[in-house]
Amino acid sequence: MADGYMLEARGLTRRYAGFTALNNVSFALREGEIRGLIGSNGAGKSTCMDVLTGRGKNPIGTVRLGGEDISKLSQRERRAKGLSRSFQKTSIFPDLTIREQVRLAARNAELDNSEEVISELALSSIADRLASDVSYGDQRRVDLALALVGRPKLLLLDEPAAGLTVEESLSMARMLRDLSERWKLTVMLVEHDMEVIFAICDRLTVLHLGEVLTEGDPESVRSNPEVIRAYLGSSFA
Amino acid sequence: MSSISSPSVRGAQAAPGQGIGLYLAIGCLVAVLGFALPFVGLPKNLLALLTSASISAILATAVGFLVRQAGLSSFGHAAFYGGAAYAIALLVKYTSLPAEVVVLAAPLLIVGLGVVVSLILLRTNGIAFSMLSLAMAQAVYELVMKWRDLANGEDGLRIRFAREIFGLKLSFFQKADTMFLVTWAVLVVVIAILVLVSRSNFGTLTIAIKNNEERARFLGYRTLWPRVVILALSALIAALGGTLFALYNGYVTPSLLHWTLSGEALIIAIIGGTRSVWAPAVGAFVFVILRDVAGNYTTHWQSIVGLVLIAVVLTLPNGIGGALTAFTNRFGGRQNG
Repeated sequence: MADGYMLEARGLTRRYAGFTALNNVSFALREGEIRGLIGSNGAGKSTCMDVLTGRGKNPIGTVRLGGEDISKLSQRERRAKGLSRSFQKTSIFPDLTIREQVRLAARNAELDNSEEVISELALSSIADRLASDVSYGDQRRVDLALALVGRPKLLLLDEPAAGLTVEESLSMARMLRDLSERWKLTVMLVEHDMEVIFAICDRLTVLHLGEVLTEGDPESVRSNPEVIRAYLGSSFA
Repeated sequence: MSSISSPSVRGAQAAPGQGIGLYLAIGCLVAVLGFALPFVGLPKNLLALLTSASISAILATAVGFLVRQAGLSSFGHAAFYGGAAYAIALLVKYTSLPAEVVVLAAPLLIVGLGVVVSLILLRTNGIAFSMLSLAMAQAVYELVMKWRDLANGEDGLRIRFAREIFGLKLSFFQKADTMFLVTWAVLVVVIAILVLVSRSNFGTLTIAIKNNEERARFLGYRTLWPRVVILALSALIAALGGTLFALYNGYVTPSLLHWTLSGEALIIAIIGGTRSVWAPAVGAFVFVILRDVAGNYTTHWQSIVGLVLIAVVLTLPNGIGGALTAFTNRFGGRQNG
């Protein structure tokens, strides 16, 4: 791993029919770091996740995972290299039980820790129920479980707390922090809930209109006038 | 995916490892009762009807399995069904191959073609898949209709089988009281195999791909080939149905390739329900018997079938099979069977 970085992204760019959704975005994450990727709607956060995971066509830029260039690999191949993600909208398998789908996710991973993940995410009591039959909060945890199986090197989470209650969001944040420390997970987190972001992130990258506005520890970002003006507003300063 | 093509497949079924015994017992009982039917003195015309229903059930099971495992509504399965029947007719007419080889080779030939075709069809989903499958089947239908020198056009072909096949007299396959045993055995074996496939890791994967292909891909799975295998398996079963039809009737006509036969199989699958592997077969027996009874009263029996279809869709959204499963679960004391 070059320079201790688990993820290095250089010059990420994506254009759609003349519109530039992401423009020359670069950042690097150290192993075990939890990085928050924040910005207003349309800032390019989800597009950035898509480019990192190989979703969509014609991305520009370089993505290195653990020092290895994975820019040309498919989504499937990136997953095999240890890059996992969850999606902005709950992305699970409604016709399978929770246990079936977590096991399915584990079959292609080097490590089958499906039962451990089910237990860690407090899904044991509902593991044999269909995913379509459990609450939205439980479905979000199933989504996270699918991403966590196999202990990936890098976990990209796209708004994991979206639609959850305050209590559920903070519970998920604590669990992520805990797992990151115990499993040495590197996490990149897109989230609008600033309580969650400031509770668990080591560093933040702020996107604005497809470009990096600033990057730093949560305190410096919280007090950055440009970030306050472009995104946070005065209530978070 | 069209609205009928994405049933929740487990809601009315046993969760893994639960309640299998009850379903296994009922399945075995129904299978044994079926084998007993020719020996209880049923009239020959009723046995003939049940033989036709068994063959229709095999075709409907193929169509329903594709809906259940892949979320695909095929309007082209007549190409596999009629294709196998025509393959037998043409091989018998133009080659000197033994009848046994012809009967075994025809469905395999169709599956080979099915795999090739599926690589094209499965680039699409939903309505696009349905329309492409319909176009494929109609192309085969038109070929047979127009290429008179090859297949005798709309007049069809009589199949001149050898007097013995697999050591049995030809009449064994062309009399209802004996052929029913063959068609029923094939139906039972087909359903048993498909139940095992649907409950295997591979079956789980195909349902995952049906639910959420992108997520399955991102979990590291190739998503095209499992769908190809499901379509090929479905095509093989439809071809088995066509093979049995050819054996039983000894005659093929282009109507076996027409899209209306594919549509009928899909209607049967909806009446039976696609949440369970076996349910389309139940739909086939209901449909064929209903058609026969209605046909005794009116030449417009399709109207009655149409009304039944509307009634089933409105009152039994999971089909007759779904209602039977719900009843069994209540009887067996399970909530999520």
